[in-house]
Amino acid sequence: MKFNRNILKSLLLLFLFPLAIGAQNSSEVFRAAGSPHNPKVQISFNRYYTSEGLAALSKKIADAHPNLVKRQSIGKSALGKDIWMLAITNYKQGKADRKPGFYLDGNIHSNEIQGGEISIYTAWYLTENFNENEYITNMLNDRIFYIVPTINPDARNDFMKEANTGSSPRSGMIALDDDRDGKFDEDGYDDIDGDGSITRMRRKSDDGNYIVDPLDPRKMIAIGPDDVVTTQRYEYLGNEGIDNDGDGRINEDTHGYYDPNRDWGWKWQPDYIQRGAYKHPFSLPETRAVADFVLAHPNIAGAQSFHNSGGMILRGPGAQEDLATYNRQDIRIYDAIGKKGEKMLPGYRYLTVYKDLYSVFGGELDWFYGSRGIYTFTNEIFTSFAYYKKQGRDRNQTYDFDKELLMGDAFTPWKEFDHPTYGKIEVGGFKKNFGRATPGFMLEEEAHRNMAFTFYHAQHMPNLSISNISEKKMSGGLKEITATIKNDRLMPTHASQDLKYNITRPDYISISGVNVIAGMLVTNEDFNVTEEQKVNPAKLRVRNIPGNGVVKVRWIVKGNSKFTITVDSAKGGLLSKSNK
Amino acid sequence: MFNKKRASLFFIGMTICFTTLQISAQSDYSNYSKLTQKIKSLQKSNVTNAKLEELTTTIGGHKIWALTLSKGKAENKPAIAIVSGVDGSHILGPEMAINIADNILKNHVNILEKTTFYIFPNMSPNATENYFSSLKHYKNGNAKKTDDDRDGAVNEDSFDDLNNDGLITMMRVEDITGDYTKLKDDERILVKADINKGEKGTYKLFSEGIDNDKDGLFNEDGKGGILFNKNFSYNYQYFTPGAGEHPVSEKENRDLLSFLYDRWNIFAIVTLGPENNLSTPLKYNASGAKKRVVTSVLKQDAALNKFLSDKYNKIIKAKDAPISKGKGGDFFQWSYFHFGKLALSTPGWWVPQVKDSTKKASKNKVVNYLRWAEKENIKNAFVDWTTVSHPDFPNKKVEVGGIAPYKMLNPPYKMVADISKKHTDFIIELAKMQPNITLQNLTSEAVGNGITRISVDVHNTGLLPTHTEMGKRSRWLRKIKVAIGLNKNQEIISGKEIRLLNSIDGDSSVKFSWLIKGNGSVTLEAGTSHTGVDSATIKLK
Repeated sequence: MKFNRNILKSLLLLFLFPLAIGAQNSSEVFRAAGSPHNPKVQISFNRYYTSEGLAALSKKIADAHPNLVKRQSIGKSALGKDIWMLAITNYKQGKADRKPGFYLDGNIHSNEIQGGEISIYTAWYLTENFNENEYITNMLNDRIFYIVPTINPDARNDFMKEANTGSSPRSGMIALDDDRDGKFDEDGYDDIDGDGSITRMRRKSDDGNYIVDPLDPRKMIAIGPDDVVTTQRYEYLGNEGIDNDGDGRINEDTHGYYDPNRDWGWKWQPDYIQRGAYKHPFSLPETRAVADFVLAHPNIAGAQSFHNSGGMILRGPGAQEDLATYNRQDIRIYDAIGKKGEKMLPGYRYLTVYKDLYSVFGGELDWFYGSRGIYTFTNEIFTSFAYYKKQGRDRNQTYDFDKELLMGDAFTPWKEFDHPTYGKIEVGGFKKNFGRATPGFMLEEEAHRNMAFTFYHAQHMPNLSISNISEKKMSGGLKEITATIKNDRLMPTHASQDLKYNITRPDYISISGVNVIAGMLVTNEDFNVTEEQKVNPAKLRVRNIPGNGVVKVRWIVKGNSKFTITVDSAKGGLLSKSNK
Repeated sequence: MFNKKRASLFFIGMTICFTTLQISAQSDYSNYSKLTQKIKSLQKSNVTNAKLEELTTTIGGHKIWALTLSKGKAENKPAIAIVSGVDGSHILGPEMAINIADNILKNHVNILEKTTFYIFPNMSPNATENYFSSLKHYKNGNAKKTDDDRDGAVNEDSFDDLNNDGLITMMRVEDITGDYTKLKDDERILVKADINKGEKGTYKLFSEGIDNDKDGLFNEDGKGGILFNKNFSYNYQYFTPGAGEHPVSEKENRDLLSFLYDRWNIFAIVTLGPENNLSTPLKYNASGAKKRVVTSVLKQDAALNKFLSDKYNKIIKAKDAPISKGKGGDFFQWSYFHFGKLALSTPGWWVPQVKDSTKKASKNKVVNYLRWAEKENIKNAFVDWTTVSHPDFPNKKVEVGGIAPYKMLNPPYKMVADISKKHTDFIIELAKMQPNITLQNLTSEAVGNGITRISVDVHNTGLLPTHTEMGKRSRWLRKIKVAIGLNKNQEIISGKEIRLLNSIDGDSSVKFSWLIKGNGSVTLEAGTSHTGVDSATIKLK
């Protein structure tokens, strides 16, 4: 009987399901300010997703919003997984790939997982709020977002599914010979206690420098020079592992190791100078897929990558030696966006990589800016500020937070094991999903704030309009047409780095429908200072349209026919306007 | 009855005859198809010791060949890679590479017992084809479409053969605002006027062509392509014509590196190209060597370079080579600074200095070349200035002329065989010096109570160190591994089962000893991929 009733229930559910797909009955919900209240796609933002999980979510979003999302694989990872990208814009308005583009990715370091969820949250938020929220609607009418939730899908899965620390693998999954003994990845971590995390090993030792905290058995206390020890001493033996290859060392050749964020083609340096570099710039299939995509999309004007942790909004230069690349005009724009970010992301600091973090070559943000002239930030997600919403380092707060707010879920208690080299040891410590990855209940907030920061950044990509066209009659059947092209956002169509090296082609401002006698750039209208373009005056080549500024152009034309002015800017978009 | 068999034999005989004739009659360098044919026939007549692979096909549809010379398993022996055609105007390189391979197989085949050679005859086939085209001009890039002047238009202003001589030379315009003047030594040659010597410019000088896109520049964006020798990561010249959008962007560059990174046995790379550290060694610069981004050869490597350079000069017997350490993005500097291998490079040939009646050589390279060409009776070295009418200079006197392309960089073909032979001799010398790890003075003695003491000198019998100083830093050279193999009933009392050594200098050794408890025998092994591996089985006492 019971069995039959269950079948009946399931059938009923199946029947009802199509009606209820994703969304809840609208009478059952009430909008919380700023969040989609009845989304077509239901996603839990208090947990993390594997690479397949992210791929499935991106497919759901794309399927639910066919007019807003095009999903494509931009390449394959080293292990052959697709690198999924969502191109999000209002496809019914304008040419998608001609709109100013914003590139966004996460998870280049495989253990730095939040970027995947923030990317999905951003895609979800944009699509679910289109036509619900004016700011988002305008954003998708005028801009396109290229969102790649994970650019390291292989090792993202390794981090989640295999035993790791909170900081491993970081690398991708291509095997390398770290100790130069001719073998590849032959001595990785070993999950002695089988908890899925690589925690720490300790051993009772009369010569040890630690004791167990008598008030909290999770904690170890370092013995100071004047301390009188009356209890058992311990020593630390490093991360969980055994000497797999018999060379007298433990965990000396783990996954990789290389750092995908040292593989980018701006001032790249080899491993002996820049630890973590692989063979040559874009020698990894994942970074190369991104580079090829970006090279093929000169409309990308802003970019963001997500890492963890520490609560940082980072800009370049990565390396001290590259200081000259970042010039003053561009730093002013970085500062304006970065400082806004500090306000939007409490606990985060706006910093410069080479002086505030480390001096490093071959990073993603440097390639985007140095090589492509794209304003780019890297955010280091999550900071200890989040634990109790206050600044300051307190060693105890992670233990307190685990106990008080995570119900002890983040710590594997110490337990005794036999180790082949060390004999009787104890294994325990914080799990891999704690310390760097945002705890579940805070993840949606962290995703939202970081997304809002990228929106602010994307909002300030160039936004061009033909704000004024004036006509003046001249003798001899000639006419003077003057057009004003306005950019009402912070970013110019060409960053100063771009102008220095002519990275992106000039903007073309052209007139059609009339017989052009002469064309010129008006550099000072009041004093009639102009620069004539002798060749092909109908299509004026303008080096730059500045941020929060205007460019004025003038043509001397013959006749009085209807004309159209077209502005064609790689990073500023394509627009035209005709006279009446 | 007509004997079919005999007829076909006769036919084969004739073909061989013709082929031989053809080879001996070769009077100029080999184009892509001729070079390909030569490589293939070389491999076909040496199937046991030569293996031919297609490394890749370039964007222009040319195949890049990788020829491996080895007796037995190639990867089991220390290897020398020879890379040529790195620069498209250096036609000599590919020809030398084939000849060197041929010489090794014909005259030095025993060297293949101990050394493997990986030979890449031509890395710039699209570029070298220009030498053979009806319009000869330097164009060193591959077939990728590039916007050389970064103005948004592609290939909009190429060279134009204004005097219809099949060569792109120079173009001079008589103009009082110009900066150039005639050189006193040889009035055919224009040099920049030096106002400090009271000279005034009377000419403008351009490469031969028309300003097709009317931007005021001549020939600034033709079919440029990306240059193999500008596309590597060391001191890469961003945003310069021919460099590409990022280092190692091109297939041929990428696939060559993949090949080299996979061959752990390579200890030296010889580049046949414009860079030169063989006739003149690189100089050590302390401040450059100490920087994080190293810009000078390291101290020990400079000494090694000097030693090898002396050897080279003794064999080649040519003086006064131009110094050229590479212009950035080049393969030679990559092979040292970014790969850490023993890196050697030579153009193979350069114009000898010619002294005039006062026994002085000209400081001007072109003057020197023209004197040499005259002495050697080389025809058409200089295209005499002739007046042309030029659309961009309607009321000016415009003349086209100058040194013929390729001539100064490549010797007359008849010299190639001798140059190749001498370079083969040097490469054989280099192979004989290769690092070679051996076990020496191996002893085992009874300590008592079932314990044996094993002692050994791990010795590099080669003259070359196992690792360059740079190579010690590089993760792409393995360390020397000294490993002792035990069975379950044996135990190490003292000493380590596995030891890794950073390097061993030439003709030097490192001592090891172990105390082993147990009976039976143990194995001992020392070396790594690029040094050779020596092993022994030792009976416990």
